[in-house]
This record gives sequence, C-alpha cells and structure tokens, in this order.
Amino acid sequence: MSDDAADVQRVLAGDVDAYAALVDRYYDRCARFAIRMLGNRDDAEDALQATFLRAYRALNRYQERDRFSAWLYRILVNQCRSIAARRAHRERVFVREEALLLNAPDRAVTWSGEDEEFVQRVLNELDPLLREAFLLKYIEEMSYEEMSALTGVGVSALKMRVKRACDRLRERWERIKND
Amino acid sequence: MIDSEQHPYVEWIAREARRPVVTDPVARERLMAAIRAEPAPTTRVPFWRRVVEPRALLLSPATMGLLAAGLVGIGVVAGGLAMNRDGRSVDQPRVGVAPQLPVSDTVVRFVLVAPQAETVSLVGDFNGWDSTRTPMARAASNGVWTVTLPLSVGRHVYSFLVDGKWSVDPNAPLAPDDGFGHANSVRIVRKGSAL
Repeated sequence: MSDDAADVQRVLAGDVDAYAALVDRYYDRCARFAIRMLGNRDDAEDALQATFLRAYRALNRYQERDRFSAWLYRILVNQCRSIAARRAHRERVFVREEALLLNAPDRAVTWSGEDEEFVQRVLNELDPLLREAFLLKYIEEMSYEEMSALTGVGVSALKMRVKRACDRLRERWERIKND
Repeated sequence: MIDSEQHPYVEWIAREARRPVVTDPVARERLMAAIRAEPAPTTRVPFWRRVVEPRALLLSPATMGLLAAGLVGIGVVAGGLAMNRDGRSVDQPRVGVAPQLPVSDTVVRFVLVAPQAETVSLVGDFNGWDSTRTPMARAASNGVWTVTLPLSVGRHVYSFLVDGKWSVDPNAPLAPDDGFGHANSVRIVRKGSAL
C-alpha cells in the first residue's frame, strides 16, 4: 500500500491528522499549478482550499486503484476551471490590459527578466485551455494519457492544445525580437 | 522534458514556470483548520449494498403513527384511483360491480380429517396462536373437522392442535421452521372467497 493509500485509510478511520500529511505532500505542487493557471495567488489559494476540502469530503469515494495524486489533480483542475469561469470578466480585462502592454513601445514592460511575475504574465496571455494543457504537459510533466484521464479531453486534442500553446509562445518571442 | 525541436524561448518559459512556488504557511494552517471543522469522512458502503441489505429501523411511536397514517392514506388514494379506472366519476353509481370487500372479509375454510380426535382447534398468526379462539367443528359421521373464518388478504401461517398436539395441514404447503421446533402450514389468501 502506498503512503497516500495508507494515509487515506487512516483518515477514513478517523485520524484527521493523517490528512495533514497528504496536504503537506501535495500542497506546494498544487499551489504551483494553481498560481500558474490562475495568474494570481488569491485565486490560487481559493482553488487550493476548495480542492483539499472537496477531496476531504469525497475521500470515501476515492478508489485505491487510482493514484491519489491523479485524483487530487482532477479536482484541482476542475476547481481552477470553476474559479477562472467565475472571474472570467476580470480575467478578460486583465488579458486585454496585458495585450496593450505587449504592444506598447516600452520594452521594459514586456521583458523584465527572469522573474516569476514575468513568466506568469506570459502564461496569462495564453487561452486558458491552452495554458492548462501546456502546464500539465511541461510544468507537471504528465504524459498525454495522464492528461487525458485527468481532463476528460482526448489525447489528440490535448496534443493540439500543447502545440498551439508552444506556437503562441514562439510567436510572442518573434514579436519581441522584431520590435 | 521539452521536445528537442522546441524553441529555446518556450523551453525557458517552461523551466521558469517549473520553479517551485513559495507558499504561505498561514494559508495551509487555515486549510487544516477548515478541514478539522468538517465532519469526518467515513468508509463508504456501496449503493447496492445499502439497497439490498436488510436494516433495522428504530422508529419512535409518533413516527410509527405517522407512517401508519401515511400508508392508510396511500391505500385510500390507491383505492380511489382503482375505482376510477373505468372512467366514471366517483359520484356516479357503479352498476353491476360488487362493492369492494374489506380485506378482512375474505372467507376461508380450514378442513382436517381426524376421525380419532376428541378436540381440534386452529391456531395461527391471525388469532395470536391462541388455542381457545378458533375451535373446529366435527361433522357428525365422517371425522372431518372444519372451521370458516374471515382472514385478511396475504400469507398466513397456521397449524392444527389435535388433542393438544401440533399437526400440520396435509393439504397445504409447509412454512419454514418457526424456530420453536414446530412445522407450520401456509395459506395464501386472495381477494374474494377462498372457500
């Protein structure tokens, strides 16, 4: 039995502290995905709270034949989608502002160096579905089969999304280089 | 990680995005506080088992009363619907249809051939297994003991007491062992006369 499965059994037997072990094991990794996906820490924290709470409430539905991490990520991805949809208006405004910044003559705004904020801004330019696929593939380093099981999207569609995400990033580089 | 044909800029973005993030320990504490405030999850019983497995229900007398009243209500409504199936309104007189018998008015006759017996009585779930409540009468000459009584529709378990000894009905199916060492007989009573 894996550490995860053993911890789940302990929680189901009434040991709530065993859930802290699961939270400690996955919180930072989930936080990275949520921050990269949602673009800001407040939304990411909401997504993390909702994810770990929902996982706790549904723990008796977790099947041991599934990897706990994959099950948890499925919940996380759905929570990120929900939060992104709820705040779609705000995000649209954000992306529009970013586009203005991108086209602005001030290069310092679009190329501020190797900082987290800059990378986040670049990721935010991607369409959410492309961003999600890109993050799962290259940041979470999942196989397409794992991504498909997690998102419910077919492998070929996911490959297309990842390719488009990479194309968008390449195009962005070309724009920066030519400006 | 990244396909070799990927652009260096894409690789750089991915590498930077893979860097661990610094999380707020207070947020994690808030999360665990929220978790501890939740009811504990328990091992789930599969749906099929919850449906199939028998369970004991503890009902208060008031709940039982309400349940009984509800069942009677359903019976009244169902009865009303049955009366209306021929398309007539409730107020119209029903011509040529016998009035519905109360379920306890189905008349059932029990017969036992016991020429040597001095006394025979019928005991069953319908008379509380009381040997004094349903004595059987003997025909004058042939040793046939009979009794006729109204029974409710359904399955009844019974036996004969022949001179104080339990005796099954040779013309009826046997009920499963009652757990007290007696074999019993079964009679299924349907609506109408079961003579």
